[in-house]
Parts: sequence; C-alpha cells; structure tokens
Amino acid sequence: MPTVRLRDAGEYPEPIQKLFEVAKAWFKYDFAQPPAMSRVMAWDPELGAFHGRAMKRAMTPGEFSRAEKEMVAAVVSGVNACAY
Amino acid sequence: MAGDAPWYEAALLVGVTNALNVVADSPLESLEPASPSAEAQTVFTEIRAFYDRADVPVAFRRVASDPGYLADLWGATRRVFTDNTLTRRHKEALAFAVSVTTRSAFGTAFHLAEMRRLGVGERGVMEVLGVTQMFSSYTKIADTLQLEPDMDHIAEADPSPAPGGPPPPPPTPSPDAP
Repeated sequence: MPTVRLRDAGEYPEPIQKLFEVAKAWFKYDFAQPPAMSRVMAWDPELGAFHGRAMKRAMTPGEFSRAEKEMVAAVVSGVNACAY
Repeated sequence: MAGDAPWYEAALLVGVTNALNVVADSPLESLEPASPSAEAQTVFTEIRAFYDRADVPVAFRRVASDPGYLADLWGATRRVFTDNTLTRRHKEALAFAVSVTTRSAFGTAFHLAEMRRLGVGERGVMEVLGVTQMFSSYTKIADTLQLEPDMDHIAEADPSPAPGGPPPPPPTPSPDAP
C-alpha cells in the first residue's frame, strides 16, 4: 500500500489536469485515473516538468524505436526489482 | 514488442548479462589459467570471432580451467546475444542498460563497445543512457512511496502456447457466469 494518499486527478489544479490528458495520449490508453507515477510527479510541477521533458526526450524515437526503449525501461525496472 | 516472445528473450539476456558481469567484476584474476587447454582455446576462438576482437572477455577467461563449463556458458551467451526476435544491436543496448544499472564496470565498458561496434552512434548511446537514468529515477520514487502497479493492464496477455507446445486449454468459465 502506498505510503502517501494518491490524489485523484480532480484534486489537482486545472493546468495539471491538462497535463494528465497529455500523459493519456503518450500512453495511448484511456486511464480511469492517471497512473500513480504521473500523479506523484504532478505534486511538484516544477520538478515534474523537467523530469517529464527529460523522460520524453529520452523515449522519443531516434536511433532506437519507442518500443525498443520501452524494453530498456522494463529491464532497468526489473534489475532494480521495482514492482511498479 | 507484441506478444511474450521478445520479453522472454530480454529476460534471459538480462540473466546471462548479469552472470557474466558478476564474475568479470569480482577479484578473480587468480582463476585465469596461464595456459588454457586446447578445448578452451577452441571456445576462445569462437568467442573472438563472435565479437570480432583479438582478446577474450575476462568473464570467459576466468572459467576456462573447466572447458566444459566454459563451452556451456559460451553457448548460452552466444544464444542470448544472437539475432532472434530481438536484434543483436538492441540486445547490446539492453545489456548496456543492465550493466549501468548494476554498476558493472566490465559490463558497461564491454557492452558500450559492442553497441558502437554494431553501429550505434553517440546519439543512440545517449538515448539508452537517458532511458536508463530516467527509469532509475522512477523506480526509486515508486519504491520509496511503495506505489502499486497500475499500468499492467495496458497490454493484453499473450494466449500463444510455449514454443513447440500444444495450444493452451480454453479458459475455464467463472462459476458465476450464466
């Protein structure tokens, strides 16, 4: 169980809710609630903006495809033994 | 990356990569035979050809006193790094990410060199490093807050059988189903 109460999307200010819509498009999936990580990163929008842009820049297709990069992300998560 | 096959392949690659790294990064220089046997030399020749290099990576040299074990370790390594569902280039990128994440000095240098040898440019290296770093951040944030998985339903389960196996049985209807 998370050590904090994850806020529903509706508890965030309007500009952040728009960012959640962008996240939905990024994942191409209609979440009932934005993923927990999106809501955590939205807690500090100033950090979240930098971090999110760095993540998108890293994940954007280049020499490697988005799918190939998703697999890199998955193995890094696996090696870190991160269940999330 | 649809279906389970590439993910099985990636997981096996992660395991073998880590197995090589733990031996290569440990203080085991004294185990390297000064004069490897002819059987070990035959395996070394295959290794040099596979990697197109003059030397044999240290992870293999350190187990060469048991040529049978060396041959099997090499066979497993060659199998997981050969083009299959995933390309060898992509596999080297995964191995590089695993090595950076586990702070393996051997693996990081070795797989970085292999990525470059297989044509990955500086931009591609930075892409893999960026993904590795960003997800090393996300995973620790998730662990610190003990977040529970909430994205595992995005992809459908792969109903295909094990390689060469019979088709899986049809799903058992729920007792509550009409």
